[in-house]
Amino acid sequence: MIEMEGIEKTYGNGSLATRVLKGITFRIEAGEYVAIMGTSGTGKSTLMNILGCLDKPTGGHYRLDGTDMVSLDDDALAHLRNHKIGFVFQQFHLLDRTTALKNVLLPLIYTDHYPADAEERAQSALAAVGLSDRIHYKPSELSGGQQQRVAIARALITNPEILLADEPTGNLDRRSGLEILAIFKRLHRDGRTILVVTHDQAVAEHADRVIVLKEGTVAEDRNVAQPRDAEEETQALADEEKTR
Amino acid sequence: MRVLRIAAEGARSLGANKLRTFFMMAGTIVGIAALTVIMAIGEGTEKRVMKRVTSFGTHAIMVTAGGGKGFSPPQEGITTLRLDDAEAIRTQVSGIGIVSPFAIRRGMSLKAGAQQIQATVMAVEPDWHDAWEWYATEGDPIASEDMATMARVVVIGTTVVRELFGQQSPRGETLQIANIRFRVKGVLESRGTSPMGDDFDRRVIIPLTTGLRRVFNQDHITNIRVKVRNTRQLVPIADQIRQLLHERHHITPPQEDDFAIFSAAEVAKMARGISGTLTLLLSALAGLSLIVGGVVLMNILLISVGERTKEIGLRRALGATRRDVFLQFLTESLTVTFVGMLAGAGLGWAAGIALARLTPLSPVLSWQPLALAVAFALLVGTLFGVQPARRAARLHPVEALR
Repeated sequence: MIEMEGIEKTYGNGSLATRVLKGITFRIEAGEYVAIMGTSGTGKSTLMNILGCLDKPTGGHYRLDGTDMVSLDDDALAHLRNHKIGFVFQQFHLLDRTTALKNVLLPLIYTDHYPADAEERAQSALAAVGLSDRIHYKPSELSGGQQQRVAIARALITNPEILLADEPTGNLDRRSGLEILAIFKRLHRDGRTILVVTHDQAVAEHADRVIVLKEGTVAEDRNVAQPRDAEEETQALADEEKTR
Repeated sequence: MRVLRIAAEGARSLGANKLRTFFMMAGTIVGIAALTVIMAIGEGTEKRVMKRVTSFGTHAIMVTAGGGKGFSPPQEGITTLRLDDAEAIRTQVSGIGIVSPFAIRRGMSLKAGAQQIQATVMAVEPDWHDAWEWYATEGDPIASEDMATMARVVVIGTTVVRELFGQQSPRGETLQIANIRFRVKGVLESRGTSPMGDDFDRRVIIPLTTGLRRVFNQDHITNIRVKVRNTRQLVPIADQIRQLLHERHHITPPQEDDFAIFSAAEVAKMARGISGTLTLLLSALAGLSLIVGGVVLMNILLISVGERTKEIGLRRALGATRRDVFLQFLTESLTVTFVGMLAGAGLGWAAGIALARLTPLSPVLSWQPLALAVAFALLVGTLFGVQPARRAARLHPVEALR
């Protein structure tokens, strides 16, 4: 469960100070699928960094499962990121010259107890994103969509409660993007909390709820009446391509 | 263990970037290889020096007739060194154990039956045996009665035995030196070859009186060997002898000496030559190349931290602490220097073996350079690895991922 209460973030100080977040308050229950929307410059990335415990707010409280992360030190935040949050980035951020399997195993290096069945877990995580046959491929041998799927498998390997995705389809074509969103939908159905930060209305509409940022404040927080279904759309796209 | 997993990450990252790793290693490899070879050569030289000194005698001073700098046999026809010089040294210089004058002549013809060979003939006093710690293994040594009676007796080296008498025992046999008949009294202990390649065993010794009167027909001697009681007195005693001979021979420097004095210290200095200084200089150079290698390593690591900013940010996002990142980069630099050190030591070892085969340098390979290399590599790896590792650890994950 995520509770944000009056979150503020100011960069610099004195006359040069820039207030990027001006008191953000919302609450996300476990198992929700939420899109955080906003055009660039609205503090979207800043909020995403705070949500991911990569950065601390300058004001307000952020409680993750009841723990206020504002009071935690750097090591504790690293620990929190490791086992509570799975990151998916726009640029995938896979280690090059490293196989998909090794990439997926990466977060386990930083766990306190390395699981004995790590390899099997990584393999099944890759299988879950449809990459069983690409386990030993390096990023340079994979398509963008496949790379992002490796990144999702990596995000899930520590079995985090929250999947935090930053423009996950930003570098992908429409079809690969839909495949990624279909995976998110499936994960959501399995009970995982999904947070997608995006500027893209079409991507946001796949979520159950949309929080819109404007100039550092929450401008809108609404439920999506009829979320789009990525699986259906992928199918439709395939049919369309067939008839063409 | 988390630490081991992170160290493994460092090693894996090196393996994934082989070219970069090689460049990081190059300095260490060259430095350690050079150090290994140079130390081996230095060790070899020192061993040779010690052999020379030991064969010369650590307590010995040698006075040679005729001037000159080289440690060479006296020139023929120099008559300045006399028995009473030896007597003067014996009576006027303190701290001396043995004074043993002798006359030497090389390439004299020795005959026994139909066999004829060339050998060195030394006319010596009985205490020659003690002065050189060189005794007869068979039969008897030169004795005082032999001196008094000018006896025609000879003690011969093993090469002479082999070449003149073969397997048969030479004792009591007759030997002709310059057509004078001598009775073989004993056989000298074998000493092998000198560091200069002379055969020590191709020589015979006869009583000094017999040698001067009957064989060489001269009343001068060629050498005086002096044995001091205490090696620390070696240099002052050598100086005293030089002064005494100056007086006796009426020489006032800068007039040139008509004799030369060598002590074990000078032999060591000569044998070492410039190689001692050179070894030191080259070791310093090798050490310098290690430091340069370290700087190169640090630079590449710093560049690599810059290039891998995103990777560092990613690792931080996935749960790596600052310490984890620091540890990974330090592991990388330590692994590089450690592997580089092993490769360098191997290379140096191989070069040492090759040098031993192909040159007269005779390097001695030992564990010391390896131990030094390990210490040096770890030092360099830590010294030049900490800064890049710290820089990597200090990166803020948000900045790094941007």
